[in-house]
Amino acid sequence: MTDTDRGTQRDRHSAFSLFTQQSLPACKPVLTPEWVIMTFLFIGFIFIPVGLVTLRASHSVVEIVERYDIGCVPEPFRIDKVSYIQDDSIPKNCSLSFKVPKYMKAPIYIYYQLDNYYQNHRRYVKSRSDKQLLHGQNEHGISSCQPVEVNNDRPIIPCGLIAWSLFNDTFTFIRNRAELKVNRKNIAWKSDRGHKFGKNVYPFNFQNGTLIGGGKLNPTIPLSDQEDLIVWMRTSALPSFRKLYGRIEKDLDVDDVVVVHLMNNYNTYSFGGKKKLVLSTTSWLGGKNDFLGLAYVFIGSSSVTIAVVFTLLHLLSPRHYEDTSYLPWN
Amino acid sequence: MSGWGTPSRTVTLGRVQPQSPALRTIYCNHREANFAHRYKGNSISTTKYNVFTFLPKGLYEQFRRVANLYFLMVSILSATPYSPVHPITNMVPLSLVLLFSLIKEAFEDWQRFQNDMTINNSLVDVLQAQGWESLQWKKLQVGDIIRVKQDGFFPADLLLLASTNVDGICYIETANLDGETNLKIRKALERTWDYVTPEKACEFKGEVQCEQPNNSLYTFTGNLVVDNQTMPLSPNQILLRGCSLKNTDYIVGTVIFTGHETKVMMNSMNVPSKRSTLERKLDKLILALFSTLFSMCLLGAIGSGIFIDRKYYYLGLSQSVEDQFNPSKRFLVIILTMLTLLTLYSTIIPISLYVSIETIKFIQSSQFINKDLNMYHAESNTPASARTSNLNEELGQVEYIFSDKTGTLTRNLMEFFKCSIGGEMYGTGMTEIEMGVAERKGIKVQEAKTSTNSLREKGFNFDDVRLMQGAWRHEPNHDACKEYFRCLAICHTVLPEGEETPEKIRYQAASPDEAALVLAAKNFGFFFYRRTPTMIYVRESHVEKMGKTQDVSYEILNVLEFNSTRKRQSVVCRYPDGRLVLYCKGADTVIYERLGTGNDDLNKVTRVHLEQFGSAGLRTLCLAYRDLAPDLYESWNEKFITAKSSLRDREKRLDEVAELIEKELILIGATAIEDKLQEGVPNCIQTLSRAGIKIWVLTGDKIETAINIAYACNLLNNEMKQFIISSETDAIREVEERGDQTEIARFMKEEVKKQLKQFLDEAPQYFCSPSGPKLALVIDGKCLMYALEPSLRIMLLTLSLNCSSVVCCRVSPLQKAQVTSLVKKGARKITLSIGDGANDVSMIQAAHIGIGISGLEGMQAVMASDFAIAQFRFLEDLLLVHGRWSYIRLCKVVMYFFYKNLAFTLTQFWFTFGTGFSGQRFYDDWFQSLYNVIFTALPVVIVGLFDQENCRNMGLFCSVSISSLLLLRISFKFNEQGFRW
Repeated sequence: MTDTDRGTQRDRHSAFSLFTQQSLPACKPVLTPEWVIMTFLFIGFIFIPVGLVTLRASHSVVEIVERYDIGCVPEPFRIDKVSYIQDDSIPKNCSLSFKVPKYMKAPIYIYYQLDNYYQNHRRYVKSRSDKQLLHGQNEHGISSCQPVEVNNDRPIIPCGLIAWSLFNDTFTFIRNRAELKVNRKNIAWKSDRGHKFGKNVYPFNFQNGTLIGGGKLNPTIPLSDQEDLIVWMRTSALPSFRKLYGRIEKDLDVDDVVVVHLMNNYNTYSFGGKKKLVLSTTSWLGGKNDFLGLAYVFIGSSSVTIAVVFTLLHLLSPRHYEDTSYLPWN
Repeated sequence: MSGWGTPSRTVTLGRVQPQSPALRTIYCNHREANFAHRYKGNSISTTKYNVFTFLPKGLYEQFRRVANLYFLMVSILSATPYSPVHPITNMVPLSLVLLFSLIKEAFEDWQRFQNDMTINNSLVDVLQAQGWESLQWKKLQVGDIIRVKQDGFFPADLLLLASTNVDGICYIETANLDGETNLKIRKALERTWDYVTPEKACEFKGEVQCEQPNNSLYTFTGNLVVDNQTMPLSPNQILLRGCSLKNTDYIVGTVIFTGHETKVMMNSMNVPSKRSTLERKLDKLILALFSTLFSMCLLGAIGSGIFIDRKYYYLGLSQSVEDQFNPSKRFLVIILTMLTLLTLYSTIIPISLYVSIETIKFIQSSQFINKDLNMYHAESNTPASARTSNLNEELGQVEYIFSDKTGTLTRNLMEFFKCSIGGEMYGTGMTEIEMGVAERKGIKVQEAKTSTNSLREKGFNFDDVRLMQGAWRHEPNHDACKEYFRCLAICHTVLPEGEETPEKIRYQAASPDEAALVLAAKNFGFFFYRRTPTMIYVRESHVEKMGKTQDVSYEILNVLEFNSTRKRQSVVCRYPDGRLVLYCKGADTVIYERLGTGNDDLNKVTRVHLEQFGSAGLRTLCLAYRDLAPDLYESWNEKFITAKSSLRDREKRLDEVAELIEKELILIGATAIEDKLQEGVPNCIQTLSRAGIKIWVLTGDKIETAINIAYACNLLNNEMKQFIISSETDAIREVEERGDQTEIARFMKEEVKKQLKQFLDEAPQYFCSPSGPKLALVIDGKCLMYALEPSLRIMLLTLSLNCSSVVCCRVSPLQKAQVTSLVKKGARKITLSIGDGANDVSMIQAAHIGIGISGLEGMQAVMASDFAIAQFRFLEDLLLVHGRWSYIRLCKVVMYFFYKNLAFTLTQFWFTFGTGFSGQRFYDDWFQSLYNVIFTALPVVIVGLFDQENCRNMGLFCSVSISSLLLLRISFKFNEQGFRW
């Protein structure tokens, strides 16, 4: 069986024959001290600069984070915040102000941040109907929306827990007594607007039940234009998340005082969630994130340290190559 | 006809059965009568499945693997609403794995089926209505009379009735059965010789009573009853399925066993399959994974029970909540989430692990081991062959090698080298071993001078002017010489082939020793040239003048065959002048036990010679004869014939009868045959022992021969401290001479115990000092028998494990196996047995890995082995390259598997903590389902095939004996890393 390919010289050097003889050309690095030290140094010299550049990009981002969920509850209601937020008769107006620490170049992104909010819970994630969101009135596709699929025997559009719990705090920004214009268009993914949410689907029978989870929708605007909903419906992966609210398309100068008037409607008090308002610029690397840069710098500098230690060890007590007495079975 | 009725009536009597049920009765040429017995047809099927059983049976086989069963369970679970993933997530990998395995099974089975069909549909001539008619094999029935032509294969086990050759003999080749290519003679009973033509054969009515089908290839007991005359049948009349007819125009036979009841089929049934240690360890690892999985699920499930709360109003938990998220039923939540998580984390079980490992091993054995040019023996055109792909990596963990000597360490090319005739030693050569010994002693070896007229031929390397060219006639003991040469020429079972001239003849012998002896006789002028079942023809040149020859025919009356218990072979022959002689040749011990009194001087001198031969590494046999008085012979022959025709324990009874005549023998002399070491054996052994592998030699040879071979192979040297436990001591001999068996046994046991104890006390002082000598143990078969008894076994084991080499001589095949399993079970180390002959089969099967040398002694060892190589020295490549690489690769593959699955699943696990323990999935369904079977399948296989250390030729760096715990240890290390990810 095997004799046929033993024969000729030509066969002997064919790739298949090299394979069966296990003599295919291969990289067989021998990890001598020189090589190891050089490799570590090389890693260090690559990683440290990359890390520094990344860190610099991250530091160039100006970010303002203001937590408001406690501050916006008037002093007398702080003992029982849940009943405060659930009482519709109490006005939920609130304002906070902050000073811009550094010059912020437009566009300035406005996010709201929720902590301890499990938008990724399986029951929550499942509770939507993509079919309905795209095609509208469909009696059959809404069983997945449990437990918020119908109200008064009529289907809810958009159905499901996610839509039902729509975030509904609103923010207006004032600088120097003049309102800062917030662009709230184009905050959702283009593909979501174009292909996931129907242009002819209008909210219907929404938030009409006894329990109201969150924001309401204007029934005259089609779902594809309800960008707040679209942003909200793209559920977050982790229990602490930011969602885009809008953009300020004017630069903010140092020491500008920005006053935010907000409607503190959304209930995070029952489960102890936090609400934060975030203003941030971006760099070529995205938002503010020091971790990546620090990780690069850390790995790089550890490599250099190891290289130095190995060099010292190698100089102080050198070990001969191919010294068999170090083998484990000796 | 009345005779036929009786047995069938007894069958209907049922339980009373005056006739033994162990017999089957066959009515030749009488289909109706046989029909009542419902014998099986002759069609065979070696397939595992048929069209209907393929799916159920094949799936059943697949689901016997825990991982597959688990995935089936998970797939069912994922079809329930508790599953976070789509059912395809678990269904796809399972079905891909099943599909792959089933296609493989189906393909293999289809090939078997095709093979069966070709065999079942081949044609054979069957006697029907006064003529031969071609019939398919599968239509053959028990009792049919058939004709097989030259070079044809026998379609079933046949009883030979007649042959076109004279005297009803035919020649068969048994290569398919045992790989032996020498022709064997079969001879029909004289009573049936005439039934050659269809006209005659039609008249044949007979009844065969024989044993039930069994798998013993070399035994058969039965009787043929024709016209109320009972004749004994022996294996000599039986033609087994699988053999082929040679040198005979055609034979006529009657079918006795068909289809699956034939001996060859019954042999092929149960091949003991060996599982590798790695595979068994894998099971444990998978169990560990299962427990990891379970604890992860439990942790997540408990978390979910704690997490779920109505305060998370956005989860809508206040009304009509399904059980899995109902905060009022927390216990149920835990149970159901457990199920959810089981489906979610299913990727932790590497479902494709077995399939991948099988693929890797298959390629390793079929492409690397089988095609390695370094293990290809060009002279015999034999590549190495891995007969199983299960054990590749086991090769890399071998710590003990048990090696046969003859044919394994040595070439098994027997050359007649020296002889001792009538107390005189002849032969001037010097063996390699003698030269080695001399060199060690510091004596200069002079180049052996070869006399000009020395005859050298393959199998004959003898040189002594006193004997060659007919010079022996002038020796003082020329009568002894004549007797000696006659014994060589007559007492054997060799078949001559080819032209009947000394130059062109070829001898077909069961063992090369026999051929060498007959060849020697030829060279001394006793040319054996023709054999018929009753006669042996020898061309003798014992007359005074050179060149004048005389053809003498000896009538062979009885042949008492060689077997491993008898260790001797005898022939009773009648000279043309009527002299009756028994010639016997055999191992020295058995011959000396049977020598008559008188001639003590000769016996003593010959014993000295035997010891000298032994120490020169030569294989010795003693020759003896006995003149028989006609009446003594006649009375013995009657007993012999009854024994031969007995149905039960025929072998044993024949042996007993043989004892009666093989006594009071007169010693003629001894032969010494050289068996040279194979090429590269000493180097190979040295490399292996540097790699930490201990080598034991288990041989049937004498203690001196064994020790010398061990010296020649670098197994022993003078720096070693040798412990020798031998039964050849004066004290033991003294007790033996008294002859009381129980006393001998008791004494021997005491002696062995005493020695073992003494050596055990001695051993630590050498063993503990670092510069001390290495230890070696030499023990012979008789002592071993006692040392292997349960009470002494532990002592033997401890002693031998401390020795770097062990030599066991004069051991029987069974003892070889016992020693192997002693180490295998007692020391829990990986053992390897290597041998080439039928006597090594039990040892090969007992060890973790059996290796057969495809050499001259037939193929039985190879058939029983896991790997077959052509030369002992290839063991180095097989173990240190293929074994080690396979082992390292597979360890890496296993670790890789665990790593990738843990990394994948643990990510999912951490994510569970961020989702309120709800079991939300992290990966896309398709990604998760194809991760194991598609996306990561190839990288693993590539590691399993290509990963290499830099060490094909680096000798020491290739040491194999890594602690067997390595795998476990390393994979746990990898697991931990997986966790950190």
